[in-house]
Amino acid sequence: MFPASFEYHRVSSVKDALALLSQFGDEAKILAGGHSLLPMMKLRLAQPAHLVDIGAVHELAQIQEQGGRILIGGLATHHSVETSSIVKAKLPILAECAALIGDIQVRNRGTIGGSLAHADPAADYPAAALALEAEMTLENPGGKRKVKAADFFLDLLTTAVQAGEILTQVSFAALGAGTGGVYLKHRHPASGFATVGVAAVVTLKGTNFDKVRVGITGLGAKAFRASSVEKALAGKASDAIAAAASHAADGVDATSDTYASGEFRAELARVYTRRALEQAVARVKA
Amino acid sequence: MAEDNQADSSASFRVIGTRPIRHDGIDKVTGRAKYGADYSFPGMLHGKVLRSPHAHARIKSINTAKAASLPGVAAVITGADLPTIASRTENLGEGVVNSRYISLNVLARDKVLYDGHAIAAVAASNIHIADEALKLIEVDYEVLPSAMTVDAAMKPAAPIILEELRNKEEGPDKETNVANHIRFTRGELAEGFATADFVVEQAFTTAMVHQGYIEPHNAVGIYSNNGFATIYCSTQGTFAVRSLTSQVLQIPEGQIKVVPAEIGGGFGGKLGIYLEPLAVLLSKKTGRPVKMVMTRAEVLRATGPTSGSKIRCKMGATRDGKLVAAEIWMAYEAGAFPGSPVGAGAMTIIASYQIPNFVIDAYDVIVNRPKTAAYRAPGASNAAFASETVIDALAGLCRIDPIDFRIMNAVREGSAQSAGPPFKRIGYFETLEAIKNSAHNKSKLEGLFRGRGVASGFWFNAGLQSSAVVNLHVDGTASVMTGSVDIGGSRASMAIITAEVLGIDVTTVRPLVGDTDSIGHTDVTGGSRTTLASGQAVYEAAHDVLRQLKERAARLWEKKPDEIKFADGVFSSADEKISPLSVKQLCRQLAKTGGPVTGKATINARNAAPAFACTMVDVEVDPDTGKVRVLRCTIAQDAGRAIHPSYVEGQMQGGTAQGIGWALNEEYVYDRDGRLRNTGLLDYRMPTCLDLPLIETVIVEVPNPAHPLGIRGVGEVSIVPPPAAVANAIYNAIGVRMTELPMSPPRLLKAILKRRHAEAEMTNAAAD
Repeated sequence: MFPASFEYHRVSSVKDALALLSQFGDEAKILAGGHSLLPMMKLRLAQPAHLVDIGAVHELAQIQEQGGRILIGGLATHHSVETSSIVKAKLPILAECAALIGDIQVRNRGTIGGSLAHADPAADYPAAALALEAEMTLENPGGKRKVKAADFFLDLLTTAVQAGEILTQVSFAALGAGTGGVYLKHRHPASGFATVGVAAVVTLKGTNFDKVRVGITGLGAKAFRASSVEKALAGKASDAIAAAASHAADGVDATSDTYASGEFRAELARVYTRRALEQAVARVKA
Repeated sequence: MAEDNQADSSASFRVIGTRPIRHDGIDKVTGRAKYGADYSFPGMLHGKVLRSPHAHARIKSINTAKAASLPGVAAVITGADLPTIASRTENLGEGVVNSRYISLNVLARDKVLYDGHAIAAVAASNIHIADEALKLIEVDYEVLPSAMTVDAAMKPAAPIILEELRNKEEGPDKETNVANHIRFTRGELAEGFATADFVVEQAFTTAMVHQGYIEPHNAVGIYSNNGFATIYCSTQGTFAVRSLTSQVLQIPEGQIKVVPAEIGGGFGGKLGIYLEPLAVLLSKKTGRPVKMVMTRAEVLRATGPTSGSKIRCKMGATRDGKLVAAEIWMAYEAGAFPGSPVGAGAMTIIASYQIPNFVIDAYDVIVNRPKTAAYRAPGASNAAFASETVIDALAGLCRIDPIDFRIMNAVREGSAQSAGPPFKRIGYFETLEAIKNSAHNKSKLEGLFRGRGVASGFWFNAGLQSSAVVNLHVDGTASVMTGSVDIGGSRASMAIITAEVLGIDVTTVRPLVGDTDSIGHTDVTGGSRTTLASGQAVYEAAHDVLRQLKERAARLWEKKPDEIKFADGVFSSADEKISPLSVKQLCRQLAKTGGPVTGKATINARNAAPAFACTMVDVEVDPDTGKVRVLRCTIAQDAGRAIHPSYVEGQMQGGTAQGIGWALNEEYVYDRDGRLRNTGLLDYRMPTCLDLPLIETVIVEVPNPAHPLGIRGVGEVSIVPPPAAVANAIYNAIGVRMTELPMSPPRLLKAILKRRHAEAEMTNAAAD
């Protein structure tokens, strides 16, 4: 449980961090909250020769509202997302999602950028980021680029972040009128990770669905949008939820482990999708 | 002497029944208490164990040359360094052990029998070098087919795990995995069932589970040139460690001293030995102290969990609620060597009820899993899960309240035991009445998918040998030493008993745990025996002190000892001219009346008395996910006499928490190759305080008539009822009978969906 030896670099700007990344290439890893990377290093699943600590790049921890969008710095901790008055007012589902991550110690250290870039298949944020159609800002020595959540999660622990890039900001559209969202999860009994987690964001026109977005985490190798559920609900009323939710696990190679079989996870995905959609609708109506 | 003691049920006590702060508490909460891993000695080396990656394999060769030549490595040992031991069994108080098998478990010889089985050990200048050295040991295996479950191991063509194993039934020529078959019978089974109006028969499966003590096994061995060995370790029994290490290493017992460290939990799992002989042998080879501490994965893979089991239970009752017959078949996983607690399972499974006709068949079965160890009322929880579920179903069929049903059939004084003499005074009826009258039972449970369940538990409790010494100090304070390791607050109990007898303040009594050279033989802290047996030794030792003090007062006052009165800590005489003396005042006079006063007593207690518990649980089930939330839980338990009620309640709550973990979450998960997959506490999931409500306790006191203080023993029985109580509550919540442990969300959901499917088919059939 000791990591392999490494060199530690603490930077005070994104520019310096990017410079070190280009200098050391594959040998370097970005350290934010350390809640995913350090356990992997202790297990020697990761053995970076250089750690570039961006913890002192304070502007990356900011949460602000700009032109109808909520901008959250990659270094914002789960706790700061959970308690931010902006997030609570404009994106209550994201604050709730943050509040369900791990325990208070984890939420005080872990960061939104770190969690999304690590892309643990059982992490909570990816489901919410997908359902909220978040946009990730990636910085590299050449400048910035933006990637939509739907294009961000590629595979197990694999994202659109390229070598030499840093995820610096996550941006969300504030939930508008007639829109409600909910994140629900079945906690792994020991780790607290999502055995399955479902984020549902719905917009109603009258009594019918205008827009439905469902993000699911924990079920397979990566978080995904449950597009078959979304399509099945297009234009329908909420009595269609149960039938639509039965498609939540369609086409996904569900993960099996010592706690939950793939079959059990698939059933959880269907149940939690139904519940999340029902509660999201109830929130709009409230 | 022990059997003649009569408990005085009207006794009023001054200290017994109060709740002083435990004497070892401050050191424990401030981190000063020394646990096994805290010991360090000059020149000390660190030892590690190489373990089998296979469930069953022949060891063709072991090459340790590379490991031995790694810089920093001081010694490497294998099974070839241990003497060969003939079979010899010994009763440790929580089951019989065989030193030959212990030796084969400590280091494998020609075969490895489970994933994690020790093969070799290394001593090096630090733990990292020892770890590196393990990787350099080359073992050539011939992998053999394995038998992981009792079903697989009992098949006619099953792989044979211990070639030398025979049982009486199958004879001397038959290789087998069945180490023992026990049968208990009474009456005529067929006649019994013929009188039944209702018969319930169900098959149960329970998973192998670990005790889950937080502190891993540890040992420091120091071998001295004069042939003497000293062992520091966390154990439930220093004398057991001495005896077993003596047998495994063939060193005379008198040349081994075992010093008990504080112990971070045991629950039966620290009665045996794993590292102790290795640490001593490595120390002998290197001439230096050697410390060994297991990792969590080693604890889970290679130390004794308790048996998984298969139980078929059939019981019959008359319409008016009288149990008339029981037919039980049970097979327990022993692990790689004989000795599952199936015998105790068989003796407890229907011990709480008067049943005129029964047959109980019990099998001890070898499987390719770690050798099981005791776990709190070993064998009884598995058994009660089956019988208390069937009894619940029968009560339902008879339309009788499940508590009343149990009261109607409960054993009482004079009732025959399943095996053994009739019960003396027992408190099962009182325990059931206590649950019936509890605030919990009187409360209403409302809401969807919520249910309430009850179940009972029985445990024998043990007596065995204990020694105690009470030393009086010049300032009137006292120290009391026993050989009992303090797991559950026994120091406080020993101090309370001493203070009670001597009439002094409990805070002025210093309770101590002696090593094997400082105190007479004392059996393990297990079998709920410590307060009963060591407590009685302390009681008698304190009375020995009192007798001597009376003699001293008599000498001072020129009276006869029987003219001296003693009450409330004060000695007096009928002679009014003599002013009374307190214990403290008399202590100042010891030097001139003959010297110091020390009291001692040794006993082999044969006055153990059974404990009963009844547990009530409210649950809420999520019918879509199978998740169970425990809303409320109350346990009533007969303690005989609660010496320190807080630690009695602690035992009741601790056992209940473990029982709920067993019921809902815990299980060993092996893959197809027989490798343990959940070797850490993230995957082997024990309940935390977040998973449990406050466990409410009702202490019942039906004094043990054969004990001077009425003590029965409280450490174990609380773990027996919860699995069945939770299962019965789930049934009352959603109508699904669970017959498999753990009742984890995936398993419960499967049962729910199966039932829903069956109901749908019935509806369809009806529609057709």
